[in-house]
Amino acid sequence: MAKIKTPPVIVLKDLKKSFGIGNAEHYAIDGINLTINKGEFIAIMGPSGCGKTTLLNILGLLDSKIEGEYDLEDKPVASLSARRQARIRSQQIGFIFQSFNLITRLNVIDNVALPLVYKGVTQTNRLKQASAILHNFHLGEREYYMPYQLSGGQTQRVAIARALVNNPSIILADEPTGNLDSHASHIIMEELSDLHKRGNTIIMVTHNPRLTTYASRVITMLDGRIDTDTAVKKRKSDTSKKRPLGKTAKARKKAARAEKATA
Amino acid sequence: MRFLFINHIQNARQSLKSNRMRSALTMLGITIGVASITTILSLSGGASQVVSNQVDSLGGNIAVVRPGSESETPLQDLAQFPSPQHFAASTLTQADLTAIENTKHVSSVAPMMVLSGSVKAKSAAPVNTAIVATTPELADIVGLEIQDGAFLDPTLSPFTAVIGPQLSVNVFGTEQSIGKNISIRGQPFTVTGVLKRTNNPINYNGVDFDESVIINQASGQALNQGALQIQQINIKSDSVSNLDQVIIDVNKALLKNHLGEADFTVLSGAQIAQPTNRLFTAIAGTTTAIAAISLLVGGIGIMNIMLVSVAERTREIGIRKALGASNVDIVAQFLIESLALSIGGGVGGYIIGYIVSFGISTLLPFSPIFTWEIALAAVVISTVIGTLFGIYPAVRASRKDPIDALRQYD
Repeated sequence: MAKIKTPPVIVLKDLKKSFGIGNAEHYAIDGINLTINKGEFIAIMGPSGCGKTTLLNILGLLDSKIEGEYDLEDKPVASLSARRQARIRSQQIGFIFQSFNLITRLNVIDNVALPLVYKGVTQTNRLKQASAILHNFHLGEREYYMPYQLSGGQTQRVAIARALVNNPSIILADEPTGNLDSHASHIIMEELSDLHKRGNTIIMVTHNPRLTTYASRVITMLDGRIDTDTAVKKRKSDTSKKRPLGKTAKARKKAARAEKATA
Repeated sequence: MRFLFINHIQNARQSLKSNRMRSALTMLGITIGVASITTILSLSGGASQVVSNQVDSLGGNIAVVRPGSESETPLQDLAQFPSPQHFAASTLTQADLTAIENTKHVSSVAPMMVLSGSVKAKSAAPVNTAIVATTPELADIVGLEIQDGAFLDPTLSPFTAVIGPQLSVNVFGTEQSIGKNISIRGQPFTVTGVLKRTNNPINYNGVDFDESVIINQASGQALNQGALQIQQINIKSDSVSNLDQVIIDVNKALLKNHLGEADFTVLSGAQIAQPTNRLFTAIAGTTTAIAAISLLVGGIGIMNIMLVSVAERTREIGIRKALGASNVDIVAQFLIESLALSIGGGVGGYIIGYIVSFGISTLLPFSPIFTWEIALAAVVISTVIGTLFGIYPAVRASRKDPIDALRQYD
């Protein structure tokens, strides 16, 4: 656990989000209080429909019709103009979508360079930066492919490259490795882990318990509420992937507790 | 300024290219509208230029007297059913002519009596043409030059005629027709002169001198059952500065002759060209109205396609917004796309408009003109249409909530 107290980036107070009206009203997020400090790597887990993606959308300023309070870097989001919110999305937040969301009529490199367009980077620099990050993700040879010409894993890596290209300080990832094999997952997770080490805040939704080993804090959600919120004690970053399959941090903790109890 | 503008243009090009057929058809509406406006403006400009050029070339000391008072409502004139009044005798008389001749600073006066009738040589088919009965001063005032022979001389035989070179070719098959006999309204005349080609079919005299025959006033009167019908009196003042005074004096003198009734009009400069212009203005006006309708329809077409395009790309809008595009960015993206459609159509229309007007001008006695105003009009019209009909779809696109837009699958 980080010894130095870092300032909070995201503060949620009694956050609620409802869908539908009248009798059909349903709270996807039903009162979440959460403080996320700068430089944390948070893994959010939970069953389908528990509000993980909704929460991520709210954190990413995509969904502003909320109840309760959301402070981003000490500023209540409700007070920010649409223009200001767009600027924050452009410069501070990198969003990795579950469904990739590449623009189908643009080629790979244009897709990756898209966030830089709205940041005001010149075309040459845009392409340079996009090309550099694509090489990082071993997609250098696919720069001028169209999205439909890529495999699922490649598409996912393009989507991640796009989210990271403008060096966001907050990275929101909705199942970033959902479509990747273990090798590709490893590349992505190492990249995220590296970004985390450089002081970026990462919030990742995942179904894969193995990936929580990269996280500094694991939150499980249930029915729109936070179920558990655990700080991962120590992360042996480089050896973690060598742990036996199927044993997650949570499982290990459970096992440890069980051992204590028997001892 | 961020570098978005170029990016938006590239984007628009790409998006229009991916829907070639649709884009082309949408542009077509604007193309037709702008093409017809370009055609109208270039042709009517050409027509009025012909007239005004001639007025200018006369040196600004020409005035013209025409029967009838000046109409206040030119368009009404055109729509009027021809009443018997229209066929009434001219109000200008020999007395008026004398009065004008006696006015100070008037250097020469030429009455014009224009008859129409068939002209025929011995062994050729008759040709219908304008017969101008006038005095020798006409050559000086209008600036007619003789290629062969001499202009009218009333002291010689009354049955002499001066003919235009084209008429000479039409009737005799050659421009060398001095001394030949020609039959005008059945009356034999001798050709004593052939005019030099003027190539000026549209002028304030209403006669194409290349294709007309000019005879003495007295002979004209004889051909018209003895009645003198002066349709126009051309006046030349001794200097440009005296023209205004001449017009005032002529007005006074004629008003006295006509017992105070202003049933004549004295015109000078640009006013002379007005009746010719009036017709073209009316034609141009009507056609412009039709062109405006086609532009309106074209604009609605653009709006329609842009709305479809926005609906198709809802998800893209969501993605762009999620990646940091502001509302202004989205508006700009779609507005530039609709402007690309309308300006593309406008430029195409401008080019097609000129092709059409050159095509039409082969049937007309004048050629279309090129002015920067027409190019500007084409650009301005298409820009206005593009903005007017593109703004609503663009704003609609920008108002989309990012998360709702992302949820829409394509």
